[in-house]
Amino acid sequence: MAVDKKSSKEGYIELRFGPRWKYIACARSFIQNFLAISIADQTRADKIAMAASELLENAVKYASGDDTHILVNVYPETEKIRVQVINKASDESIKALKQVYGKISDENSLDAYVSQMKEAALRSDGKSQLGLARIRYETGGDLQMEIKDNVVRVMIDIG
Amino acid sequence: MNRLKIEPVVEERIKIYVDDSPQGVSIRFVGDIDMEDPSIILDPLFDKIHEGVIKLGVKEVSADFKELNFLNSSGIKGVAKWIMKLSEVDDDNKYVIKIIHNKDITWQVTSLPTLTFLVPGAVQVE
Ligand SMILES: Nc1ncnc2c1ncn2[C@@H]1O[C@H](COP(=O)(O)OP(=O)(O)OP(=O)(O)O)[C@@H](O)[C@H]1O
Ligand SMILES: [Mg+2]
Repeated sequence: MAVDKKSSKEGYIELRFGPRWKYIACARSFIQNFLAISIADQTRADKIAMAASELLENAVKYASGDDTHILVNVYPETEKIRVQVINKASDESIKALKQVYGKISDENSLDAYVSQMKEAALRSDGKSQLGLARIRYETGGDLQMEIKDNVVRVMIDIG
Repeated sequence: MNRLKIEPVVEERIKIYVDDSPQGVSIRFVGDIDMEDPSIILDPLFDKIHEGVIKLGVKEVSADFKELNFLNSSGIKGVAKWIMKLSEVDDDNKYVIKIIHNKDITWQVTSLPTLTFLVPGAVQVE
């Protein structure tokens, strides 16, 4: 784990670890505690730590390769926060990501979350596909993704 | 032992207790639900509760989340799956799910009320 300061103004956390499920809870607490110091609003810190946890779950579950990478940027001037995960992924995961992303981006965040919940509850293939809709609704943030070759970057900007 | 004869779930990070309540049955979650596949514990538990409650004609189940620090999205799916069962039961067997939330836990304040949109009238949040 590495905690660093890019400049005197911009705080950021960068964590890289081998994809092990048990590290997620630990990263979540760490990010939460870090943000409790760097931003005033505790509710926001909770939401950001939740978003980081969901994105990390995905990066651990769907990464091909053994590097899980998360970045949390804190921009003090605008009070904006960006959480992003970067990982390699299979064509199949990328296809699913594009599909879910397209679907939830078409609706307002509450409707998208509730319809993903209903779909998850009724499907029989065991899939959940609720995480991205959840963080978009709970944080009110702007969810984005970038795919280059097989490298996926999923990020959320929380204002 | 509760009237449904359901054993508690006791795992390292999560404990789930089922007790009788004056109105029916209560489920209490303590800890964190953040494992990779929470359906392994949630699906059998909610199946047992749903079937038992209908069999005994219980009309209210309270789900107490006050001591649940974290619930991941797959865990939310587990709860949604339980609630959605109520869309399939006929009126005689219907029961109400009362969700008790902790206003100091941020995800509970934002996510738990959304569960009321799944099946009209089935869920109350307090
Ligand atoms: N970092 C990622 N790398 C590759 N694929 C991803 C990544 N994040 C998401 N996906 C794809 O997008 C889908 C939707 O992700 P989302 O987090 O919404 O749901 P989920 O992980 O399937 O289930 P849940 O989060 O509810 O447990 C995933 O099933 C996966 O196929
Ligand atoms: Mg997910």
